[in-house]
Amino acid sequence: MLKTLFLTLLVLTIAVGGGAASVWVMLEEAGPVGAVSAGPWTAFPSAGTREADPYSRARFARRGGVPLGPSEGITFTAGRDSNGRGLRRECAYRIAGAMPASRFWTFYAAGPEGALLPPFKRRRAALHSQMVLRQSDNSFSIAVSRHPMPSNWLAVTGEGPMQLVLTLFDTPVASGARVDELSLPRITRTACDG
Amino acid sequence: MARLSYALLLGLVGAGIVHLAILFLLPSYSVRDAWTRLSAVAAPYDTVRFDREKLAGKVPIPADPFIEAAACRFDLSRGSLHVHGEGSVPFWSMSLYDHQGLNVFSISDRATPDGTLDFIVLTPAQMQHVRSRFAPDLGQSVFIETDVEEGIVLLRVFVPDETWEGAATVFLDGISCEPRPLD
Repeated sequence: MLKTLFLTLLVLTIAVGGGAASVWVMLEEAGPVGAVSAGPWTAFPSAGTREADPYSRARFARRGGVPLGPSEGITFTAGRDSNGRGLRRECAYRIAGAMPASRFWTFYAAGPEGALLPPFKRRRAALHSQMVLRQSDNSFSIAVSRHPMPSNWLAVTGEGPMQLVLTLFDTPVASGARVDELSLPRITRTACDG
Repeated sequence: MARLSYALLLGLVGAGIVHLAILFLLPSYSVRDAWTRLSAVAAPYDTVRFDREKLAGKVPIPADPFIEAAACRFDLSRGSLHVHGEGSVPFWSMSLYDHQGLNVFSISDRATPDGTLDFIVLTPAQMQHVRSRFAPDLGQSVFIETDVEEGIVLLRVFVPDETWEGAATVFLDGISCEPRPLD
């Protein structure tokens, strides 16, 4: 009798505990699938749509949010530079290189949770394609730094890890056209404080 | 011993079932999805401007600092939805989200005649009804057919700098979301 009770409890503990724990591990620890990568940049075009796999859906349900649709645009985030080192606010970076065709793009620095970094005086840690200064051949480079820089300066503040978020609006990239050959700007670390 | 290994096996099978059950039920029971959060602050068909200060943390405001948004909830069982807006902004786009907050349809201003915001959202059955009769008052509206019954319409506007703030406010505050019963 006692043995049966013990075995029943064992079955229930393994089933409920193991089931819940394995879901938690899959959602928290395992990396999302369906990513599109170009250098350090990663996007999840199917996240928050009906095409997403059940794990991405469950992850999205826990986080919430309003993802961009394929006709609106696509968001790329980078947590590392092009050499694979984590992005830090106390370092300076140079962003340069080809940008895919789009109507316009926005670029901002965010904390680990994805919220915009606090502004430097009145200057937000954000730029968009219509405000960057370009060379005569239409190329551009952006300096990400805590210290004022000439030309295009993305002002960051504070210290600790950060991520860079690049959103392309109204772009063929978002509707899935040739994402494999995608080329996005390089992120190069130029200096670090301290 | 045989009974113990049988119990362990049964436990593992049970764990698999619990795993799948949680995985597939989680989206339905989430309280963080856009629909649930918008329900808490607005009645259906009320257009809510996603104000970064007043509604911080209450609704899913897009993180992009150059994007301003407004949204309304709709229920197509009350008739088709008419979304209309006036004004001039550098870029706008519209998304439909279903009850779970999944993006089911999106369109940008480039896909509409002269960039005007004028949409009728309806179910396939309502579309059939409209097709079967002549409706002269619909004018230039773009028809969007969707299988979503209850959902959210979210409008995004690009605000390049502070000088566009006024135009964006006029555009977003002027968006009307109305049920249009089919007769």
